[in-house]
Amino acid sequence: MRGAPRAGLIWSAAEYRRTPDLALVVLLLFLVCACDRAEPPPGPSPAVARAERRLYDGAPPVIPHARIGPPCISCHNQHGMEVAGLGYAPPSPHEVTAGLSAISRCEQCHVFRTTSAVFDDNGFVGLRQDLRRGGRLYDGAPPVMPHPAFMHENCRACHTGPAARAEVVCDHPERVRCPQCHVQQTTAGAFERR
Amino acid sequence: MDRRTFLKLGGAGAALLGTRATVLAEEAQQQGLSPADLRWSKAPCRFCGTGCGVEVGVRDGRVMAVRGDEKSPVNRGLLCVKGYHLPALLYGGDRLTHPQVRGADGVLKRISWDEAIGLIADRFRAVLKEHGPEAVGMYGSGQWAVFDGYAALKWFKGGLRSNNLEGNARVCMASAVTGFLSQFQSDEPMGCYEDFEKGDDFVLWGNNMAEMHPVLFSRILEHKRTDPDVRIVDIGTRRTPTTDYADLYVEIRPGTDLALANGILHLLLAENRFDLAFLSENAVYKRGIENLEEIGYGCYGAQAERYTFEDKLRDASLDEMRAFLADYTPAQVSAISGVPEAQIRALATLYGDRNRGTVSLWCMGVNQHVRGTWMNNLITDLHLVTGKISRPGANPLSLTGQPSACGTVREVGTLCNRLPADMVVTNPEHRAKAEKIWGLPAGTIPAEPGYHTLDLFRALERGDVKALWIQTTNPWVSLPNLHRYPRKPGDGRFVVVSDIYPTPTTDVADVILPAAAWVEREGCFGNTERRTQHWDKAVEPPGEAREDAWQTIQVAKRMGMGHLFPWPEDDWHRPMFEEYRQFTLGNGHDLASYDQLRATRGLQWPVVDGKETRYRYAAGFDPYVKKERGVEFYKAHGYGDRAAVILRPYQPPAEVPDEEYPMWLCTGRVLEHWHTGSMTRRIRQLHQAVPEAYVEVNRADAVALGLNPGDRVRVVSRRGKVELPIQVDGRGRPPRGSVFIPFFDESRLANLLTLDAMDSISKEPDYKKCAVRLERV
Repeated sequence: MRGAPRAGLIWSAAEYRRTPDLALVVLLLFLVCACDRAEPPPGPSPAVARAERRLYDGAPPVIPHARIGPPCISCHNQHGMEVAGLGYAPPSPHEVTAGLSAISRCEQCHVFRTTSAVFDDNGFVGLRQDLRRGGRLYDGAPPVMPHPAFMHENCRACHTGPAARAEVVCDHPERVRCPQCHVQQTTAGAFERR
Repeated sequence: MDRRTFLKLGGAGAALLGTRATVLAEEAQQQGLSPADLRWSKAPCRFCGTGCGVEVGVRDGRVMAVRGDEKSPVNRGLLCVKGYHLPALLYGGDRLTHPQVRGADGVLKRISWDEAIGLIADRFRAVLKEHGPEAVGMYGSGQWAVFDGYAALKWFKGGLRSNNLEGNARVCMASAVTGFLSQFQSDEPMGCYEDFEKGDDFVLWGNNMAEMHPVLFSRILEHKRTDPDVRIVDIGTRRTPTTDYADLYVEIRPGTDLALANGILHLLLAENRFDLAFLSENAVYKRGIENLEEIGYGCYGAQAERYTFEDKLRDASLDEMRAFLADYTPAQVSAISGVPEAQIRALATLYGDRNRGTVSLWCMGVNQHVRGTWMNNLITDLHLVTGKISRPGANPLSLTGQPSACGTVREVGTLCNRLPADMVVTNPEHRAKAEKIWGLPAGTIPAEPGYHTLDLFRALERGDVKALWIQTTNPWVSLPNLHRYPRKPGDGRFVVVSDIYPTPTTDVADVILPAAAWVEREGCFGNTERRTQHWDKAVEPPGEAREDAWQTIQVAKRMGMGHLFPWPEDDWHRPMFEEYRQFTLGNGHDLASYDQLRATRGLQWPVVDGKETRYRYAAGFDPYVKKERGVEFYKAHGYGDRAAVILRPYQPPAEVPDEEYPMWLCTGRVLEHWHTGSMTRRIRQLHQAVPEAYVEVNRADAVALGLNPGDRVRVVSRRGKVELPIQVDGRGRPPRGSVFIPFFDESRLANLLTLDAMDSISKEPDYKKCAVRLERV
C-alpha cells in the first residue's frame, strides 16, 4: 500500500513526473491537507484527461506514458504500484491471470501515442462517461452496476486506490466481493408472466 | 501503514475533493449517456478477415460507440485496437460526399448522381462498342459486401459480357484459393476457429498472427493458459510480436519454406509416419509443371506484359513421391533454408505425432509468394499424409486478410475466371447454370478468362483497357512496383473510383463517387471460417454517398441492363441475396437464408436444414458426407472424391540479394493500420500510435552503416527509392541482411520498391521478397 497517502491528489503521471522527491511530496501534501488549502494542480481535470485518452467511453485508453521496458502487468498488476519517476500505475481492470490468457497482449488494444499530429480531422463524437449512479431500490440499498462488467472484472482498479476518481471511489473496499451486492443489468425489461 | 490508516486517508482525500467532484460529476452528467441510451445492433467488424462481431451503438443518427459482441462465436466480446476504434472511420473530416468529375484542367468539380451515372454509362457503352468487352474492366475488393460483388459480377459477366472483373483478393488470398482448388476442387478451408481450442500444436507459416489476426491469436493464448501442453511454432523470416509467444521460433531464409516443408515430408516418409491407411482411402498423388524456364515469374521479358502460364497436373504415386523427396534430406534442406537440422526434425516429430492435433496457419507470407500455390499445397500435404485433416483440432487453416475476401471475392467469384460457388467461366456447364439462374440466353457469358489483376493494370497502362471502375480499394498504394502505373488523368483512358476518402487512387481518377461505408448501408461479409454475417443499416451515409452495389446497378440500368436487377428500388437486398443463394444450394456450398442470417451471429456454410457445418468433409459434421466415419472429399469429383497430395519442388525467389542490392526487403502490415491506411489514419488514436512508415533494420546492420534508431535512410531497389526513419529492435526484428517496411503510408510507398513477380498459378504478386540496399541520407 505504498503511495496510498496521496489518494486522490496525484492527477496524472505527467504531474507526478515533475515532483522530484517522494518524501518531500508526501510531506507537502500532508501539510496542504492540514491547512485545508488544497487546490487541484494545473492541467486537465481527471474527467477531461480520462476522456482525452479514449475514443469513447468503453474504448480502450491509449497509453499515457512513454514506452518503458518491463511487461505492462509488472506495474499494472492486480493491485497497482508506485513506479519511481512515473507515479502510480493503476491496476488492470481486467481479470489478471497467472501466465497467458486471451488478453495477455496488452498492445492488441492499448497503443502508445508517439506523436500529437493528426492525419486529418475527424468529427466522431463518442459516448461520454456516464457518472450517474446506478439505480437503487431505496436510499441505502446497493446500487446496480451502471456499466457492463465485461472486461472490467477487477472493480478495485477504478473504484479504490490512488488512481480512483473521487466521483466513483468506493468507501468500503474491504468488502472484496462486489457482485455480492452490486449486480449487472442485462436487460432493461421487467418480469412478465407469460 | 495498515489498511485502516489507508482507508482513513483515502476518505480524507475524497472528502477534500468533494466539492470539485460534485462539479465534475454534474458536468459529466450533462454530457454523459449510459449505454442503455443508445440503440445497439449487430455487425461484423469492417477490418480484417477474422470477422469479429461488434455491437454498434447509435443515437441521433450517429454511431457513438461499439462494443465487442459477447454473443459472437468468433470473438466472444473481445476486439483489437482497430475494432474498438471502428466508429471513427465513418467521421473523418474529408469524407467524400458528392460525385465529382475531373475537368480538362485537371480540377475536380461536383456533379449530380444523374450526371455521374450518365457519364459512366456513356463511356462504358462507347468503349464497348468501339473496342469490345476486353477493353472494359472492374477492380473490386475483399472489403466489398456480398451485394456489391454480386451486382458487379452480374453486370460484368451477364450484362457487359466481359470477364475483366477482378477483386483485390487476387493480391491477397488467390494462392490459398488455387491451393484449395487444386487439392480439393473446392475453395475454402475445412477447419474453423474451434480448432484454436481443440488443437495441440499451432504451426504458423510466415504469419504474424498476434498483429494481423489478434483476436484469433488471443484464442490460442487462452487455450494455452488452460492447457500448458499447447505449443506454438513460429516459422518466419523475422521476429515479430508473435515470436514472443512461440515455444519454437524457426527462422528461414526468404522463400525457402518450400524446401523446409519438403524436408518435413522427407522425414515423415523416412520415419514411417505417413498414415498410409488414410492415404490409400482418401488421396491421389499429382505432380505439376516444374520447368523453371517455362514457368518464370511473370515479371521478366514477354511475361512482364501478359502472364498466362497454366499449370497441368499429371498422375503421380507414392513411389514417385519417395523418389521426389529423396533430395530433401535434413542436411540439404538446412543448407538451403538456414534452419538447423534439429529444428527440421522437431517439426517432423510434431507433424508426425498421431496423439496430437496439429493446426497449420498461414496468411500473406505463404500467399504473396512466387510459388504461393505450391506452398499452400505443401502445407496441406503435411496434413494429408498424416491424416490430420477435417477433424476438430487438426487442420490446415488459411487465414484471410479482408473482411469478405472469402464471402465476396472467393464465394461470389469476382475474379476473371470465376462464377459463384466454385464455378469457372471455362466450364460450359457452369456457364449454363449461371445463365439459367440469371434468365439469360445461352452463350451470354464469355468462356475466355479476362485479365487477372496485374495484367489488368498493365493493360490499362498500355491502353488495351480503356475504361476501368475501381471500388473500395486503393491500388495506387497497394499494387507492387507502382512505377509501372504512372497514370495521369487525360491519357485517353477513363478511370472511375468509388471510395469513402480521398486516396492516391482518387487522385488519378476521372470520376470519383462517394461510397457508403460499413453500417451506413446493409451488408453481408463472409469470414475465414466460412461464416456469413449480415448487418442492417444503422445510420445514414453522409451527403450523397451511396453503397457500391447501388452505384453499379444504376449504371447498368442506364445502359439498358435493368433486366439484370429487376427488384424494387427500396427492397432489393433480400431478393438479390436469395437469387445468389440459388448458386450455392445442393452443391456443398449452401448458404443460409437471408432471414436466418439476419437473425443469427452468422452461420458457417454449408448450411443444410438451417444447421451450419463446422468441419467440412468430416463424417458427423458435414451433412454431405455419407460415410459413418472418417472423411469424404466429396467435391473432388475429378479425383474420384479424393484429395490430391501434390508434389512441389523448391524454386528460388524471382530476385535475390547480390552485391549491388545486398539486402532482402519484406513488406507488410502493422496492427494499428488497415491496409493502405485510408481509414485508420483518419482515426486519431491509431494514427498517433503509428504515424508513418519506417524501415526495420537489424541492430548489427545499423551499426555497420553508422545509423542510429530514428535516423533517416534511403531504401533503394532496382525499381525505386524511398526515404524512411529506421527502427531498431522495435516490434519486428529482422535478421542481418533483411529489412521490413509496412505499406500503409501513402507518402512513403513501400510499393515503389517491390517487384511485380507473381505466383505462377494464382497470379498473386510476391510483396515479401525483393533485393534492396540502404543508403545514408
